[in-house]
Amino acid sequence: MSKVTIAHLYPRDMNIYGDLGNIICLTRRLRWRGNEVAVKPVEIGRPFDFAEADLVFGGGGQDSGQLIMGADLVKRGEELRQLAADGAPILTICGMYQLFGRGFTTMEGQEITGIDVFRASTVGGRVRMIGNIVVDSPFGRLVGFENHSGQTILEPEQAPLGKVKKGFGNDPQSRREGAVTGNVIGTYMHGPVLPKNPRLADHLILAALKRRYGVTELEPLDDALELGAAKVAMGRAQ
Amino acid sequence: MAKAAAKLSRWLGRGGGHALPGLVAEKFDPDLAQKLAAGLPHGVILVTGTNGKTTTTKLIAAMLEAHGERVLTNSTGSNLKRGITSALIRAADVRGRLEHTVGLFEVDEANLRLVAPGLRPKHIVVLNLFRDQLDRYGELDTTAALIGQGIAATQAKVHLNADDPLVASLANASAPEKVRYFGIEGLPARAATAHQTATDSDRCPVCRERLSFSRVFYGHVGHYRCPQGHFARPQPQVAITGVEETGLTGARFTMAVDGKRSEMTFALPGTYNLYNALAAASLATSEGVETVKVAEALATTEAAFGRVEQVEVRGRKLCLLLIKNPAGFTQVLETFLVGRPNVRVMMAVNDLDADGRDVSWLWDVPLEALAVTQPQIITAGIRGADMGLRLKYAGVESRVAATLEQAIEAVLEATPQGETAYVLPTYTAMLEVRKVLSKLTHIAEV
Repeated sequence: MSKVTIAHLYPRDMNIYGDLGNIICLTRRLRWRGNEVAVKPVEIGRPFDFAEADLVFGGGGQDSGQLIMGADLVKRGEELRQLAADGAPILTICGMYQLFGRGFTTMEGQEITGIDVFRASTVGGRVRMIGNIVVDSPFGRLVGFENHSGQTILEPEQAPLGKVKKGFGNDPQSRREGAVTGNVIGTYMHGPVLPKNPRLADHLILAALKRRYGVTELEPLDDALELGAAKVAMGRAQ
Repeated sequence: MAKAAAKLSRWLGRGGGHALPGLVAEKFDPDLAQKLAAGLPHGVILVTGTNGKTTTTKLIAAMLEAHGERVLTNSTGSNLKRGITSALIRAADVRGRLEHTVGLFEVDEANLRLVAPGLRPKHIVVLNLFRDQLDRYGELDTTAALIGQGIAATQAKVHLNADDPLVASLANASAPEKVRYFGIEGLPARAATAHQTATDSDRCPVCRERLSFSRVFYGHVGHYRCPQGHFARPQPQVAITGVEETGLTGARFTMAVDGKRSEMTFALPGTYNLYNALAAASLATSEGVETVKVAEALATTEAAFGRVEQVEVRGRKLCLLLIKNPAGFTQVLETFLVGRPNVRVMMAVNDLDADGRDVSWLWDVPLEALAVTQPQIITAGIRGADMGLRLKYAGVESRVAATLEQAIEAVLEATPQGETAYVLPTYTAMLEVRKVLSKLTHIAEV
């Protein structure tokens, strides 16, 4: 039995839109395969040793939450960049995805500095990009729900998570969604993106087990309910 | 013209004539609502907040009617500006006169700002602020700011939940002498639940420091203070000072109104309903309603549409409980389902506009609490599969039914004669459930 530690970035400030669903999903899928799981919160101003983290997750928040945690995140930037370079799987959503890039400039011109894991910058916009979204990615066809007005522009060398089939994605024009660098994934598919996209969940899990324990293959699970729910959700995208 | 539109709309049966006349009237005379409302001798009362608007409005109406008022209300689901305009138009005679003495309207949180200046309410009641269907307003701070603007645009007396920090902070939008607080001083240990997965608002509105709570009654509702001393729970004028009994059929408690205590019984279960009772009592007593009439209304008022509504079908009782956001669903869960091994439950989740198109919020409901008892659960609705998936990851078994009809049949079949099953639908699923049930039994029209 292997022990896996999930670091949850600022769970009390960045937990809007059912983000907890991703932690629940990773935990269950690890436990169903006989692993032991510990979820450790990273809190503002509290020390955290990322050397013990096998998997990192950070979700979206209200603007006030993003402002409060932004400064703290920057202080941990070097550690997180090293973790990313070392191949640790990291999933960031919405507000946290934005701050894993170069930064976020709000509509009012306020700048929140990011930690430069992604070569991407976000600016506030007038268009609210909201609705079900379908994305073709290296992890198969993904489905989720987006709700953001920040527009993220990827630099030429930055790979997106995938191509938008339905919905908006990073911005209203590019038809590209999210970002991938190594095992670090950023996406606007907010809240519980992993439960309906089990392949993406298992990619993160395998990366974590491989890095720490040299595991090369995961025991398959029965994902009929997951894929059924994903199919319904894809049908709801306009 | 508006009157004609109202008649036409009712005749067409569209939405029960709820909002169309308001829409038409607004085109002809944008100030129509305020002109009509000006004819109400005892003014207008507005009730807002995420959860409990309909129930609280029903309780207030009962209290004011016992006091001799003739109360005009808007119906469930018509709590936007045009829904209120429609209610006024339908009640007015051809000369625009109303036979009612007071207007009592539930108002959507984001719409308070739009209706309050024109209607010049005498009272505004704010119940609570939780994250709602998330694609509606996005952020709770924004919603609070909108309500604050609504309050600031009036001379109304405001009735605020002292135990909800974000609601209590709305006092800043009003003059101190215009604010009346309601709250709970204490609950029996087993009724007080600290079970929560996501906290909606637990920071000081002044310095953004995390508030410290000495008591949590549910969600972020409890007794709190800012560790830096900027902000603390205000002392409520209307308070439940002790709860003698709580159960599935209601509660017995002591309520203090401006220091005067009375024993009361209450027909509705759940901690969340205690706050609705307090809000109604705060309003009614400040309008001069005697405590005994307040008590009578609390003892006899039945649940509003789909809020703990009981229906009998083939010798089984179906208890209908509307679910619309994490806080409400969590309260339903804890009041009716947690710790009860043999309950039968149907959960129906739709994702139409009125339900909220985003079903992510299901993951903020602590359904893990059902894993110990494993009740029999059938899920249905457009997003029945999402509900089933959430339950699977909560460690709770369930079965997804293909249609709502099949789900209702299955839940009836699983329920022995004389026993109760719980039906938990989102808003439009509730309408569908009622349609299906109306073929099987008598059920009140919405």
